[in-house]
Parts: sequence; C-alpha cells; structure tokens
Amino acid sequence: MTRRAEWASIVAGAVLASFGVTLVNFADGGGVDAQTGVTFLVFIIAFGGLSLAVHFWAPRASPLLLPVVVGITAIGFIQVYSLSLLRAGLQRWWLLIGAGLAVLVIRLLSPKDTTLLRRYRYLILAVSIALLLLPNLPTDWALPLRGLELNGSRLWVTLDLGFTTIGFQPAELAKLGMVVFLAAYLADHMRALREAHRQIGPIRFPEPRQLVPLLGAWGVSLFILVGQRDLGASLLLFASFVLLMYAATGASGYLVAGGLLTLTGGIAAYAAFDHVQRRLVAWIDPFGHFADEGYQIAQGLFALGSGSLAGAGPGLGRPDLIPNSATDFIFAAVGEELGFAGSVASIALYTLAIAVGLGIAFRSRDTFRKLLAAGLTFVLAVQVFLIVGGILRLVPLTGITLPFMSYGGSALVGNLVLVALLLRISHEEAT
Amino acid sequence: MNGPIRRIATGLFGAMMCLLLAVTWFQVVRADDLKNDPRNPRPALTERGKERGLIVSSDGTALARSVTVEGSRGFERSYPEGEVFAHVVGYSSFILGDNSLESSRSSVLRSRRDVTISDLLAALLGTDLRPKNVEVTINAQLQQVAFDALGAHRGAVVVLDPVTGAVLASVSKPSFDPELLVGPDTAANWEALLTDPENPLSDRATREIYAPGSTFKTVVAATAVDTGIATPAASFGDPVEFQLPGSLATIGNAWGGPCNDGVTTDLLQAFTRSCNTTFAALAIQVGAQPIGATVGALGWNQSLPYEWTIPNAAWLTDQLATDRAALGQSGIGERDVRATPLHMAMIAAAVANGGQVMAPYLVERLFDADGAEVESTTPEQLGRAMSQTTAATMSLMMERVVTEGTGRAGALPGVRVAGKTGTATGSNGFTNFWFIGFAPVERPTIAIAVLVEGSSATGPGGSGGVIAAPISAQIMRAWLGMSP
Repeated sequence: MTRRAEWASIVAGAVLASFGVTLVNFADGGGVDAQTGVTFLVFIIAFGGLSLAVHFWAPRASPLLLPVVVGITAIGFIQVYSLSLLRAGLQRWWLLIGAGLAVLVIRLLSPKDTTLLRRYRYLILAVSIALLLLPNLPTDWALPLRGLELNGSRLWVTLDLGFTTIGFQPAELAKLGMVVFLAAYLADHMRALREAHRQIGPIRFPEPRQLVPLLGAWGVSLFILVGQRDLGASLLLFASFVLLMYAATGASGYLVAGGLLTLTGGIAAYAAFDHVQRRLVAWIDPFGHFADEGYQIAQGLFALGSGSLAGAGPGLGRPDLIPNSATDFIFAAVGEELGFAGSVASIALYTLAIAVGLGIAFRSRDTFRKLLAAGLTFVLAVQVFLIVGGILRLVPLTGITLPFMSYGGSALVGNLVLVALLLRISHEEAT
Repeated sequence: MNGPIRRIATGLFGAMMCLLLAVTWFQVVRADDLKNDPRNPRPALTERGKERGLIVSSDGTALARSVTVEGSRGFERSYPEGEVFAHVVGYSSFILGDNSLESSRSSVLRSRRDVTISDLLAALLGTDLRPKNVEVTINAQLQQVAFDALGAHRGAVVVLDPVTGAVLASVSKPSFDPELLVGPDTAANWEALLTDPENPLSDRATREIYAPGSTFKTVVAATAVDTGIATPAASFGDPVEFQLPGSLATIGNAWGGPCNDGVTTDLLQAFTRSCNTTFAALAIQVGAQPIGATVGALGWNQSLPYEWTIPNAAWLTDQLATDRAALGQSGIGERDVRATPLHMAMIAAAVANGGQVMAPYLVERLFDADGAEVESTTPEQLGRAMSQTTAATMSLMMERVVTEGTGRAGALPGVRVAGKTGTATGSNGFTNFWFIGFAPVERPTIAIAVLVEGSSATGPGGSGGVIAAPISAQIMRAWLGMSP
C-alpha cells in the first residue's frame, strides 16, 4: 500500500461514516443533513491531518495502520450516532482533539526519535502514576481539579474551567505511559532478565529478584481494582505487562506466574467485592439472572441474535435497550444494527490492526522500540478481547471500552496517541 | 525476542478466532432462539414502533393515528373514536396482526422505510416512503348518532349514499375498544373479548348473515312489478292461512287473521301491512329464477367486492325452483334466505337510486403525508335490480309502509320517508328486528338498514316496526339535518 492508497481509504472511511449517519437520519425520518457533512469533514480533517503529519514527519511509516483505524472508528461512530446525537457531537470533538494530540506526538518525536521516551522513562512513570491517582482526589475541594465517582467506580477527573466542566479518565493515557516505562525498563535490564532464570521441567522460571517489576505491576493493578474499582483496566494493565515480560524474556514462567497472580487476585477480589461476584454470576448464567445481574449480558445477546446476518439497519434496531450500549456494549449495538456482517468486519479490522502492530514490533531492531510496539499492540488486543469476549461470554465481563468504537473522549484520545507512537516506530525502523 | 512475540501473535490470533466463533454462535446458530426469546422485546418493539398513516372520516375526524411514544423514537397506534369505529377501522396489533381497514389498507398505511439501502436510493430518486393516509366515506357524526341510536341493543346499522354506494355509517354492537388490542395487555384483553358471550368482536354490519324476514318482500314485490306479474293494485285471494303446496305446513300473518277482509286484498295493501299469506303465494307465482335475477343484480350469491370478505348473501335459486313450499317460505325472507345488513341496505339504496345498484365502498380517497390526493374511489355500478318505473312504484309502496303501515315509527315530520319492516327468526328462539328504508323519497340522500338481534333484553314479542324503525328515524333525522 502506498500513501495514495492510504489517502483513498481515509476518504472511503469518511464516506462510510457520513453514509452511516445519513442512514440513521433516514431511519428517523430525515435524510442528508448538516450531520452528514460535518461528520465527513471531521473524519477528513482528523485522519487526513494525521496522514499529512505522517507524510511530513514519519514518511516511511506503515501505510496499513491508518486505513484500518479509520474503518473501525467509522463503524463505531455510526453506532454512537445511532444511539445518541449529543454523544456523537462530542465524539467528533474528541476525534479532532485526539488526532491533534497524535499529530503533536509525531511532530515532537521527529527531531530525535522514539528513544527520546526511553530517556524520560522515570518521569513518564511518575506522570503515569500521578494520572492514575488523579481520580482519587477529593470530589469537593476548592481546587478546580476534582475526582468523581461514577457507577461505583473512581475513574473520572473533572476540570472546572469556570464556564464549563470537562471530564476525562486519566487512566487511558496512564496506561500508555506504563507501557512506555515497562518497555524502557525491560530494554535496560534485558540481559539480566534473560539470563537469570531457573529451569523447572519445561518451564523457565525467572530469579525471584527479577519478579520485582512483575509484582510491581500486580500491585498497581490491584490498586486500580481496589482503589478505583475498575476491574477492566486492572486486568488489562496486568495482562499487557505479563505478555510484555514474556515477549522480552521468552520465559514462559512469566505467563504461569502471571496466570497464578491473576487467579489469586481474582479470587481475593471475588471474596472481597460484591461487584466482582455479580460479574461472575452474570457470566455463568445471564438468563437465569435476567432480572438483575445477567440483564446487561442477556440484552447484549438478544441484540446480537436479533441483528442476525444483515442487522436491523443503522438507527433501526433497539440497542438502547442494552445498558451502556454506547460505551462497553458498543459491539453488541454494532451486531444488532449492522448484523453478523458488521461484527465480523469489526473483528477482522481489529485482527488486522493487531497484525500490523505486531508486524512493526517484529521488524524493529532496537529493543526499546520493539518492546514498545509490542506492548502497545498488546494493550489494544487485550482490550478488544476482554470486552468483546465479555459480551460473547468467553470471559467474565470486565467493563472496558472497545478501542476506537466506544463513546468516550479519553479512550479515543489515548488510542489515537497509541497509533501515533506505532506510526513513529514503524517510520524509524523502516529500511 | 521475535520468538515469544510470534508465539504471542499466534495466541492473539487464536483469541480473535474465538471471538469470531462466538459471534457466529450467537448471531447465526442461535440467532432465532435469541430473537424469539419471550424476554426479548425487540421483534414486538420494532414492528410496533413504526409509523402508520392516518385513517380519517369524511368529516375530518381522526379514527386511527400513530402517536410518538415519549422517550423513544417509536410510535404507538391510537384509536381516538374507540368502539364507535372498531369494526370499520380495526386494529393494527403486534400480537394479533391487522384487522379491517388496518389490514385491507395496510400496504398504504405502512411506512415503507424498511430496508435502509434501498430506502436511501428511493430518497435520492425522490420517492416518498412516508406512510399514506386513508379517508373513509363514513361521516363520524352520523356514525356516532347510529351508535347511540342502537342503544343497548345487539345489532347493526348500515347507512349508504344511494346515489354513489358510499358507506356513510357502519355500526356493530356490542363493540370493543381497539386500543385494548394494541397495548401491553393485548393477550389478556383478546382472551376476554373472545370468550365474551355477547361476541363484541363480531362485525354484525358486514360480516354476519341473518334471515331478512319481511324486508325481503321488497325484493319479491319489485320482481313481481318488474316482470309484469303484478301491479300494486293487483288483486289476491285473502286466506287466513296460506297452504304451502305439497306440504301440510301453512303460513299465517303476524296477527293471526287475514290480510284484508278475508276475501280479496291487493299488492299495495299486502306490502303495507306485510302480509305473509299474500307474499308466500306471490313468490311462488313469480318463481325462483326471476327473484334470483333481482338479488343477483344486488350482489347476492356471489362475493361482494368490498374492503374485506363479506359472507355471501344467499337465495338458493336452483333448489327453490323445484321446491314450491320452500319458495313460499323464502318469499317472506325465511328458511334459507340470508343476508348481511349491508346487503339489505343495498336493497333500499337500489330502490332509492331508480333501480341502479351501486357497489358499496368504504374508502373515499388516499392522500400522502403532504395532503395531496394519491387515489380516489369512483362510484361503480354493480347492476340493475329493477327498471326505473318499477323503482318509482316501489318507492311509493315503501312510502305507504311508513305513512300507513307497519313502519310508521320510521316516519319523520315534513320528510317523505320510504321503508320496510321485518321480523325474522333469529338464533336461540329469539326474533331479529329489521328496518330498511330511504329518504327523502323525491330525492333520496340516505338509504339504511337497521338490524336488532332479539334477546332477553328486547323481551318477547316486538316487531321491526316497533324496535328497528325508530332507530332508523333518529339516524335519518340526524343526516337530513346535517346535509345541506
């Protein structure tokens, strides 16, 4: 694929999004209107701008990534628009902001390169931890920056600007910082980590001393689980860490240890928190607990079944019946209105995105960049698997957003920055 | 490091394959089970949620409309006139399906926004996919008057414009509120209506057949006059009882005496007093085929073109041609003679319209969402029941029924009203009471049939002239007061 083909697919993605918006209008009795045009323009500006930034500051970057991301974003946007006009309007703003931030990242990294991030790894770690802690700020103190508790979770920070209040989830950016730090840390201690291990049967176990970072990550994850009651983010962070440790060392003991720690944490959480217990009940038998715990999953499955092969059509289904259909359950909404065709297309696009990301990692020679690319891709993949698998009852539902599709500004911005980092790495490692 | 990454890649692609398999399981293999799960409200909601067109009366009253449901994009069907129009308008129920006009005009009323891709193309081509609206010929005020006039009786009223065949009112009682069948309690309400002994779901006006009794004498008299077999002044013998040929059975008059003086009577008097003795003899004299030809022109023994299937009105010509006793009984509208109130109203309308039978119709026109007419009904001739002269003669005879005969209770001050009463065998040993008629005689604008089913409520005895004729008078008075 060439840059020209990338451009063509960006235009195609913008057309897809505005076409979907028109179909939703149509279902509501409208037709082509300002929403159609604004959507088209926002997609062209956001992704066209990103493509231009790549053209100037990362010209050798992989031309495969942006087209896939445009496609996923377009499908998700149609669904958000179908569910809420208001949220779609906000989502467009977040798309512009996220693309702007991604352009900034590409621009800032262009004079040096991504290894600049490695140099500031401890600063990045400190900032990430600070970001993670932000939602635990008091909800009612004098400073304009406050924490916020929503749906029993402590994920939000509100910034009072006087004329308006902006809410965001700092964890969405913090998780990127964590991956950057871990990639840098692993690159630093590569040799030690690789050689210090013991062979027990077919499994190579690392030296106890080398388990410190893993335990650190576990601690952070547990903090997210306990302090912020965010099961999804907790699991995502820990799983990505474990995968990255294994990628760096090749010691399958990390997978075993990670699995054991996840199990331990899970059992402890199950014993301690009733919201974890409810999740498990809903996973095992959603229809048996239709009236309470299982309602969301059951409605999601009804939506998928009702969507069947071709779907109800944009704006013609009833995904609004599923709780949190615009955020956590956006995949079920896509399945209902765009049908099996839409779900398969979405899963295929995510698989493609993961393949491109891993390809970038695979071809990288610099250890840090290789681990960073791999880590970012893991974050993406684990997130997709956790939420889609949760909706499809493969794993317990953990409540996490679907990258690029779910409504939510912080997630969209964070994921676009993730894409920017991958683009930069692919440029730097291109031969 | 590429080794572990490759293994992780394999694992991740495996995970994605699991997602694909799981989504195939739920969206393909188990899709129908999930979709049809009774706890899944979607199938009902999407069907119910769609907008349908208006059904309005000729005087602009909304009879059925789609109202937006608060807090959702969907619509709900509303029937503002309730039970007054239940059998005409019907219902559009997501459990029971559509009925009456909601069914017969469903393709017009339904929004055609279904398949989005083709919808978009249609929009680009300028096709209007919005639901269209139906204007019926019924006058809502008159319908209400007829509904009220029937009172607590079980029965029906059909009012026609004799010149065009337009249905001006069509009432069946007892009735039901169609909104009971579109709401959340549809199933329970349906069950209650089905098991109601009064059978409120039955459309007595156009979808039930009854023995017409003496109102059928209008057909026999008209055929006799038309074929030249008799004139109003024609003289007949006047026995106390008529001996049916080849049978021991006899036919007598309602009052048990002769029609006139026990010696002779004439057709006009026999018609005015509704003498069974005379008409049994006359029917045999006229013959089954000529009467069959008259009712054939009136749409009997065939399916009458209408919004929905109307049971055939029956005059068993071939059978009666060989059975003179049965022909005698049939001549007074008994035995196997059957018709709906709509058929009986058409007889009155045919006389009023100079013998020309007009096809009855219920829908005046269709109009689109902008109010522009899409289609309108042109009145159609169904056939000729009698010559114009015969019709004029019959008018005078029927007027005599109201001025001097059994139908005096159907009279109106200052208006020349024509009519014929009937008292016929009903079900369960009860009697059914009829009145058919039209007005004003010199230039008819309304033709009517009133049927009251006898029941313990109507009491023993009674006659069409006493029970049905006053109902007709109320409706005629209202109509003549309404029309300019």
